[in-house]
Amino acid sequence: MASQPLTSSMQPTDVYGGDEVSAIILDPGFSSVRAGFAGEDTPKSFYTSYYGVAGDRTIFSDEDIHNPLIKDLEIRNPMSKDGVVEDWDAATQLWEYAITSRLTKFKQGDPRTNGLNDKDADVEMDAAEDEEKPLEEHPLLMTETAWNSSKNREKSIEIAMENWGCPAFWLARNSVMAAFGAGRATALVIDLGASTASVMCIHDGLILKKSVQKSNVAGNWVSSQVRSLFNNSEPKVELIPHYMISAKTPVDAGAPAQATFQNFDHKISDSFRALEEERVISEFKESVVQVYNGPNRLNSTHPSGIPNIENVKAMPGRVFEFPDGSNQMWGADRMSVVEGMWDERAALPVAGEPALTKAQTIPEMVKASISGVDMDLRAALLQNVVVTGGTTLLQGFTDRLHNEMVNMYPGARIKIQAAGLTTERRFGSWVGGSILGSLGTFHQMWISRKEYEEFGASVVDKRCK
Amino acid sequence: MAPYRDEHMLIIAPGSRTTHVQLGLPESLAPAQHKFATRMFLAPDGKSYEPYRIKSSKKEDSDEEELIEYPEDDEGAIWPLKDGRIDDLKCFLAFLHHIHGKLQPGLHIGLVIVAQPCWTPKDHEEITRFVFETFKVPGFLLLDSAIATTWAYGVENALVLDVGYTKADISAVSQFAVANRGTTIGFGGDNMTETLLSLVKGKYEPPFTKEMAEKLKQSNICEVLPPNMPLPGSEGFEEDISNPAAAASTGALASGPSVKITGPPRMNTEPGLDDVVEKEDGVLDIATIVASGKTQEFLAKAEKAKADKAAAKKAVKDREAAEAAATRATRIPNSKRLHNTWVWESVKSDGQKEKEREKEKTPEPVTAIDSAGPVQAAEDSSLPATEAAGQSKPTAKKDKKKQWEDDNPDLVRHEYQIGPERLMVADHWFIDRIADEIYRCVQGMRDMSSRQNVWDNIIICGGGAKVKGFKEAVMQTLNNRYLISPSSATMFMSELPSNIATPSGTGSMTPNASFTPTPHGGPTQSNSLLIAATTASNPALNPNLQSGYNPGYNTHSSHSQTPTAIKLASPPTYMPEYKDFHDADFLGACVAAKTVLVTDGGATKGLFVTRNMFNEEGPSAIHQM
Repeated sequence: MASQPLTSSMQPTDVYGGDEVSAIILDPGFSSVRAGFAGEDTPKSFYTSYYGVAGDRTIFSDEDIHNPLIKDLEIRNPMSKDGVVEDWDAATQLWEYAITSRLTKFKQGDPRTNGLNDKDADVEMDAAEDEEKPLEEHPLLMTETAWNSSKNREKSIEIAMENWGCPAFWLARNSVMAAFGAGRATALVIDLGASTASVMCIHDGLILKKSVQKSNVAGNWVSSQVRSLFNNSEPKVELIPHYMISAKTPVDAGAPAQATFQNFDHKISDSFRALEEERVISEFKESVVQVYNGPNRLNSTHPSGIPNIENVKAMPGRVFEFPDGSNQMWGADRMSVVEGMWDERAALPVAGEPALTKAQTIPEMVKASISGVDMDLRAALLQNVVVTGGTTLLQGFTDRLHNEMVNMYPGARIKIQAAGLTTERRFGSWVGGSILGSLGTFHQMWISRKEYEEFGASVVDKRCK
Repeated sequence: MAPYRDEHMLIIAPGSRTTHVQLGLPESLAPAQHKFATRMFLAPDGKSYEPYRIKSSKKEDSDEEELIEYPEDDEGAIWPLKDGRIDDLKCFLAFLHHIHGKLQPGLHIGLVIVAQPCWTPKDHEEITRFVFETFKVPGFLLLDSAIATTWAYGVENALVLDVGYTKADISAVSQFAVANRGTTIGFGGDNMTETLLSLVKGKYEPPFTKEMAEKLKQSNICEVLPPNMPLPGSEGFEEDISNPAAAASTGALASGPSVKITGPPRMNTEPGLDDVVEKEDGVLDIATIVASGKTQEFLAKAEKAKADKAAAKKAVKDREAAEAAATRATRIPNSKRLHNTWVWESVKSDGQKEKEREKEKTPEPVTAIDSAGPVQAAEDSSLPATEAAGQSKPTAKKDKKKQWEDDNPDLVRHEYQIGPERLMVADHWFIDRIADEIYRCVQGMRDMSSRQNVWDNIIICGGGAKVKGFKEAVMQTLNNRYLISPSSATMFMSELPSNIATPSGTGSMTPNASFTPTPHGGPTQSNSLLIAATTASNPALNPNLQSGYNPGYNTHSSHSQTPTAIKLASPPTYMPEYKDFHDADFLGACVAAKTVLVTDGGATKGLFVTRNMFNEEGPSAIHQM
């Protein structure tokens, strides 16, 4: 393919300055990888961060890892609980897959794309060393968390330059990008992803270091709360993922399930089952779970003397049908399951995990973040609260956040910027990157290949603050 | 710029195996005029590509080399598309060039290319650059195949399952844009053939070849069984027929054990009788059928309807046979028989003759698989009309056979008694994987409120989906595993939307769409209430309200589980020529060509790439469509 004459006009120059070449924005997270071209409104490539390992085969993408028929399929994730990269080899392959399969040219005979049909997976990964590198024509803008280590940052530029052959590179903080995505250069960014929730203040596009707060009350934490709810409910809800069911029969609410099960002639790994259970929990979170939106907190008492929880119980519940057909109404529980986000005493105990502390809750994180910055900035920040990340899509989240903040800062003007479109909220930091990458003035910012060759990987620490 | 007219349209729909091409739109849209095998050969110089295999061989009397074309040989062919992906771009572009050269469309053409879902933006750019620089077209439209399919069906939200050669593409389309998609590689038509071949291999004499397996797969006796239906002869299979009426009607034209099925299917068999049935019934509501627990009866009924159609057709040609068949007392449908007969005709002499014969027999290799009952296949026009009659009259059989042999001296007939292998072409895992991917695609759509709209319009197309029973098996699996039933717990929810009339409680208001009261086991009275309650948070789901388009409901996300109904989209009825909707993407491309290029003609900007746009912006102009 390297000799392809058609691409000659796209050859990058040494010092990067081409306007017509589209940059690629890569926004990796714990649960998904977002990649796409700068200037577009949604990432064209959206893949799960989970990948499968079966024997010596590595399987990427949602399309293939949910297949229970693959023997010895183990599900892994290259990211650590903090949302930073832990397994660089896997992460590099995963990101490359996300970019090449949906954006640029798919590599021929790539063994990683093999589903079931190809048995000869022993082809060397890096056999084609002289082949065109996947990103030779595209500058790459990558996002990272605010607490990324400097070693990790250098590794990122190394991969972009060495493995992928990028002509130019930039590393941006995802919270800053989220603020850009919401059209703010100064903002208080509240980002709830899968593995981490973070709150930090951004002033003129720079993170104020002392304001960075993070905790684990994000999507995965909600999932564990939901599991705990299922385990402790009466009767106990057994979570059976879809792949185990061959057919279900409608049953009365609360009645035991009547379903036909699938038979497998090989053992299904725990990690696969957990992944599939997570799909059911996601649906539960999407369709049932709701954040109690006041007045006050769920466990406090209404001025009228009736506990809030009693009011909630009187509200209509929601029904959830499990993959095995059993279904039941979820009343106040669907709210109490996320109350721990706001009130550590309301969190359900999860076996094997330490109890939530007060400092981990969202109101406390906001408080700590705001108190970490200069007095003069606080008013401006409270007027520009940017809410981003998939977990903030929990129903009622922004209303509750607003209530909590009004209680914390009475008298202050509080304005919450939460994108109405689900895509913008989920891909907030990607969208910001897309905007930044397409700005004409940003072109002089890129770290070009020449600079990298001259100064080495440490250039990223000097340039990308 | 001169306006485009119908005859200026060049439509190319590439597939991994076959590419459908049409120059000029006919008065009434019809299947593609031209079919090309999607392959090229490396020319002897090793750099360029040729449409046919060229081999150099030494002349007998001298040392000079001579190049000979072998138009029918596909040894050493390069198939530029693999699993739909552009595997060899250079070769693919050469292939486009070959098509263009063959048809000689002139310069003023509107070119429409149907893109496979997995082509990357980069691929789109390369193709755009190529068509403008090489063909010098003034207007170019690159249409995603799933979008094209929705154009053909005229629906804006749909789930398109396109079963191709070695993969099945699944696209969730919301408001004419792909919202989510997935691919199951290794779940295509060819994989079914391979499965079948591996099952029948070594069991029958003379042994099966791949070609035969392919034809057997396309025949009427090869079926995908509905999930959990036992194979004939296996444990749990009921020998006796549980429903004599259904069996009798099903078998109206089907066959007793002595009746022969002749394969392979011919051009002249009537395609798309299935579609006729669906058209007449309006929406084919699998949900109701499955929920009512009368799947068998329904299938029997559908079968009967089909058979009736077949009967009507047949009566004209062959009244005698129809009558004879109709008088038979008990018949067993194919899916319940342990064995069924299949006839393979092969040519005695080798080489060219066979090829010609094959060509004549099957100009379109997969035309009519799931059309009508087994007799339909026996209705082989190349045989004398009386032959069919002979099939139902064993006494006459011998003579007829002899006559057939006289008529076709080159052919050898092999009769096979195919066992249950013919019903194992796609096992339940095959269907399950596809169903799970469909579920993942729809539930992965970011806009929750449009998920149900997608579940309401499932389109199953592609050559691989033509195998008898495939669609039904997919739909039933989806229903078995994913359908959310109205819960008895919501009975007394007070969230009734005010615009619903007071429920009558008699069931008279029960829409015939998705909720049949009986099978849920719960309280059965006041179904309207049930529906109102379950759909309260999302009025779009309520069949009572579905008549008018309600743009308002999208404003907040509905937070309720989907799917509460799973339905096949009904194919459009306005195209009399088009009965077989398996290449709906091609049809959709024609419709798009007509609307976008001919009728609109560039009045609305940004629907297709014009020469000017390409000159200004280069290949990336394609991304602004």
